[in-house]
Amino acid sequence: MMLDDQQLQKLLRIKRFEQPPPGYFDRALIEFHRRQREELLRRSATLIWWERFVSGLGNFRVPSYAYAAVLGGFVVVATIVGSGLWAPYKETTDVSTSRAVLSGPEAQKVAVNRLALSGNLDWSTFDDSASSPKVVPVIRPSQTALPRYVLDGRPVSYKASFSF
Amino acid sequence: MEDQNLPDDETLVRRTQNGETRAFDLLWQKYSPRIYSLIYNMTANHEDSNDLLLEVFAKAYRSINGFRGKSSFYTWIHAIAVNMTINFVKKRGRRFQLSLDDLDTNVQNDKELIDLAATNSPTREVDLSELQQRLNEAMMKLSVEHRAVVTMFDIQGMPHAEIAKILGIPEATVRSRLFYAHRQLQNYLEEFRKK
Repeated sequence: MMLDDQQLQKLLRIKRFEQPPPGYFDRALIEFHRRQREELLRRSATLIWWERFVSGLGNFRVPSYAYAAVLGGFVVVATIVGSGLWAPYKETTDVSTSRAVLSGPEAQKVAVNRLALSGNLDWSTFDDSASSPKVVPVIRPSQTALPRYVLDGRPVSYKASFSF
Repeated sequence: MEDQNLPDDETLVRRTQNGETRAFDLLWQKYSPRIYSLIYNMTANHEDSNDLLLEVFAKAYRSINGFRGKSSFYTWIHAIAVNMTINFVKKRGRRFQLSLDDLDTNVQNDKELIDLAATNSPTREVDLSELQQRLNEAMMKLSVEHRAVVTMFDIQGMPHAEIAKILGIPEATVRSRLFYAHRQLQNYLEEFRKK
């Protein structure tokens, strides 16, 4: 006959009586204190502080309203930037209002570069002989070029396609 | 060793957090026998149990400032003990020796248990300590997770809900582990009885 659950539990109950000899826990407490003192002497204060910090971190919980606050803040910033109320990197083409701190020829060079980038530079009057070395040929936009468009991956132009 | 006149755990924990080391000694006094029993029944070795008991309390002392009282101190320190012991047993693997040989003398005089030992051995006279030894061997054949559940439920008499909290698993898992562990133990002991 197999042991039933009750009999097994009775057998397991025997193990409740398994205890260390009398006085063991008092001696173990003394040993515990000794190890604590030893540990304090061995470890640096920084390490102890760090362990306590990590232990505290494990119990740290982010409050639920913090998520809502972060999301709300993001929406507000996105709205302000998206609506153009605040544009920290707004491009200006007006040389006179630029905040260039350079002066003399350097400032002029910067201004010319900005005009070239904006497409408002009159290339016919631009003299690059002094400013750029003749190492590579300067490519200027063709005055006769007509606007070209690309639709659906195929070149479309007012001219015949063989001119591409 | 447990003293009913000790202040409640919450007070003792708060006092320890405020730097009163004597309060932690009282927590030791209150819980060390239970924690020792838990570790001992999971490791089956006195020396290991002694070392682990000291380590568990050392860890609890280091971490007590992070204890916020969301669970009871009882659950918290049991969880530390179970986790440390499971890790220890897994690391130790099969390199262990049984040292479960310090039975309290009261057991030898427990009539109910003597009768049980006799009724379960019709073919041969089974010494109670021999049955005890077989039970310990059977326990050690269980996985450490199953042993933890058997120790807490059958030996320490904890309810399923408390065990579930300590192990951080659903109550249903605790019940199924218990069921499986009981079947295993019954099979092991049955094999012994047939010999």
